[in-house]
This record gives sequence, structure tokens and C-alpha cells, in this order.
Amino acid sequence: MNWFLIMAYILSVTSFLCLVRIVSGPTHFDRLIGLNLMVTNITVIIVIMAVHYNYLVYLDVALVYAILGYVSVIAIAKYLTGRELHR
Amino acid sequence: MPLLGVRLNRGLNRGKLKMINDVFLIMLIVTALLAIEMKDLLNSVIILAAFSLVLTFLFFNLHALDLAMAEAAIGAGVSTVLFVVAISKTRRREN
Repeated sequence: MNWFLIMAYILSVTSFLCLVRIVSGPTHFDRLIGLNLMVTNITVIIVIMAVHYNYLVYLDVALVYAILGYVSVIAIAKYLTGRELHR
Repeated sequence: MPLLGVRLNRGLNRGKLKMINDVFLIMLIVTALLAIEMKDLLNSVIILAAFSLVLTFLFFNLHALDLAMAEAAIGAGVSTVLFVVAISKTRRREN
């Protein structure tokens, strides 16, 4: 048990706390911030496991999720402003 | 023990980090139930995005890297935007 695995466990616990905020958020914005933070947490967990197991293919998953993770948050935030989505 | 030429204990390998796997399986069940039970459909879409995220990490933890990449691309990129466009074209509240 080295520091990488300890940090992976701590980040999984914090992503569980983000899930609590997503489930019981009073407004939509709490849920949106919780989702964004959870995307970042899981990307960091994947990068930590790639460094710990010294396996370079794992970074591709983290790269795909880091590129595509913001699209859903921007779509929901743009819907909440009340405007059209394509504009 | 071998059954039909397949060793069973290869199938019972539960990923690298077993405690993280248990935590994320509980999160998967919670998000799947709450995405059905929400009355406001926008909450349901946000919880469905969290479900896709948890499923991506579970695929990654079970050595299915190509499946994790496909789930990340479809679940975060296409599916959520499609549901938000559908909600903006129709009603938002479920009655």
C-alpha cells in the first residue's frame, strides 16, 4: 500500500461525497457542480492508476474523458440560462 | 477448477482495487434507481450522466479499456446533449 493507492481511495471517498451532493442538491446548480467535480475526481483516479501500474494505455481513457467530460455540463448550463441550445 | 476447459477463478477476478470496486458498484445502483425516480427530468439527466461516469470507471477497473473509452464518448458527449435537446423541445416536468 503506497501513496498512490491511498490517494486513489481518498479520491473515491470524495467522489462518493460528490454523489451525495448530486442526489440531495436543493437546486440544479449544486447537482451540476457536483457532476463536474466528480468528472475531475475520476479522471485523476485513472491518471493515478496509470502512474502506479506504469501502463501507458490507461492515459488514453483519461484523455478521452477529459476532452469529452465538459460537453454535458456546458449543455445543461446553457439549457438553464433559458436560451436555445444551438445559439 | 476447470469447467468446460475454462478456469473459473479467472472470471472471478474483480479488478485491481477491490474496495474502490465495491464503492462504485453501490454508487451505480443508487444512481440507476434515482434516475428513474426523479420527478424533474433535468435532475434525471444529470444523475444519468453520473451513472455513465461511474460505469466508465467500473469498465476501466475491470480491464475493459476500449469499452470504457466508448462509454465515455457516448455517455458524456452524445447521450446527455441529446436528452437535454429533447427536454428543451418538450415538457420538463413529469406528471
